Order: sequence, then C-alpha cells, then structure tokens
Amino acid sequence: MARILIVDDSAMSRRILRRILEGAGHEVIEAEDGLVAIEKYFLDKPDVVLLDLIMKGMTGMEVLQKIRQMDENARVIVATADIQKSTQELTLAEGAEGFVTKPFVENEILMAVDSALKES
Amino acid sequence: MLLTEKQRDALGEVINIAFARTAASLSQLSGSRVLLDAPGVEVLAIDEVPGALANFIKQEVVTVHQIFSGPVSGDALLMLNYDGAVNLTDLLCEYGLKPHTLDASAREALTEIGNILLNACLGVFGNLLHVHVSFSMPRLHLESLDKMLRSITIGAEDLRYAVVVSTEFRVKESAVAGYLAIVLGVSSLDRLLGAIENWEQGSQT
Repeated sequence: MARILIVDDSAMSRRILRRILEGAGHEVIEAEDGLVAIEKYFLDKPDVVLLDLIMKGMTGMEVLQKIRQMDENARVIVATADIQKSTQELTLAEGAEGFVTKPFVENEILMAVDSALKES
Repeated sequence: MLLTEKQRDALGEVINIAFARTAASLSQLSGSRVLLDAPGVEVLAIDEVPGALANFIKQEVVTVHQIFSGPVSGDALLMLNYDGAVNLTDLLCEYGLKPHTLDASAREALTEIGNILLNACLGVFGNLLHVHVSFSMPRLHLESLDKMLRSITIGAEDLRYAVVVSTEFRVKESAVAGYLAIVLGVSSLDRLLGAIENWEQGSQT
C-alpha cells in the first residue's frame, strides 16, 4: 500500500478522495494549497501525488513544475474538473503520470494510482 | 446582438452537447439518474439579463463564478435561487440541511459543485472547438443579480454579452432550476461563433 498526498483546495474533494484511497488501504496526507503541498512532499515523501489544478495561490500546474524540478522521479496524477484534452496534454508534457477528472470515479482513481505505482 | 438562424442553431447544438456532459457530471455526483430539460439559449446584452431572469430570481441569487481566459475569455456563472442552491447541495451531499440555510460547509461544497459543472460545460466547448481556456478559482457570491453582474462588468471596455442557458434538472425526484451564463466581450463572442462555424464545417467533411 502507498502513501498518497492529496492536493486540493476543496475540502469536499479531499474527503471524497480520502474515502476512496483509504478504502483501498492507502495512507493519505492532505494539503489545501500549493505551498503546503510542496512542503509536505519533501517532509512526508509520498509515493504518489493527486493534484488539483485550479487552486488559490500557486496553481496546480506551478506545483507540478516545482515538484518535478526538485524531484524528477515524482509521480503526480492530475485530478481536476477541467476536462479539456488540451489541459491533459499540457500536464502530461510537464511530467504528470496520469490525468483524472471530477467528479471522481473510484475505479479510475485507483487504476491511475496503481498505474503510477507500477511505473515507480 | 442578433444572431443568424444558423448561428443560433449551431450555438444551441454545442450547448446541448455541453449540457449532456454537465448532466452526466451531476449524475456521477449524486449517484442518481438526472433528467434534464432541453436547455433554452439566448444571447443578451448584459443589461438585459436581470430583466430576463427577473421572474426566476427575485431576490438574492447564489452564483458560482469562474473567470476563464484564452482565445475566448469571459466569465462563467452558475446561478441558482437560494432555495435551489440549498436543495442542490442537500441532494448531492446529503447534509440534511435545515430549510433556507447554506452554512460554511455547504457553501464550500456548492463552490466545488459549481466548479465541476462549469468546467464540464466549458470543457466541452474547448474540446469540440479546439480552443484552450484556462480557469480561475471558482468563487461563490450571494447578492442581488444586478449587483453581481455590475461587479463582473466594471472596467470592461468592450460591449458585454451573455449567452444565457436556462434549464431545469431533476435529481432524486427533486426539481432544481438554474441558469448558466457565459459573459463575453463582443470580440470573444465573435471568436466563439467563428469557432462554432469552423466546427460545424469540420463536422460535415
């Protein structure tokens, strides 16, 4: 089982993801903004990050770039309401490992996490 | 702004597709089948909007507002009357809210629900029309419609229009009526209509 950092400014979305991930036996850490996410990434060393894009302060894209600059092996799955294919392409080009959209579907989240873990 | 019949028809079709995605998102959020009325579409000058929605929204309006930017830029608004907002939040989150209350937790949830629904709708526009838009953080407003519309048009230099989509959806046997408005300057509206025309021509080839 893995340690997973959820980065989302919505408490509702964090609750939903926590329920899905803990139900599958994963350990969950939460961050409600980008700065806290970067701090927790380096303090808690999660195996996978689930990252929202539209957040106050640092955007998810900035957080993705920062984490990847500091750790090129970081496994980041973007978890966003933005369903545009162009957004998916942009995040994958920045090194995201996966892309899932809201509203979350349990199987999609768990498959994305499993896939990222297999890559590591 | 007068649209040609062809433009109105094409805009209506793109909005139909976008609303199907929005309804699918609502269905996923609620875990229930969502029945959606065919959306009505109007393009109005911004100062005509309060009059057009006066019967629906008589007092305070609960709005989830998101700014989007890119080749087509503007403001996306999900508007619900207060009772509709309470009803929707309760249906989707099962908070068992007391009548007429939107507490901090319900407001936070409603903001995220609005974020998901607005992105579902505008994301279809982006995907179909090959126009990438970036979204700001969603914000929840509780105020009169006039005041809310004034706040988003202050400082806007070009004429502002609103593509107003009205619909009613039924979740778990409860009807929630709402409006979605996309507020655009005239140049963005022109670009949107041009992209729709290109999409229509591309779909025929």
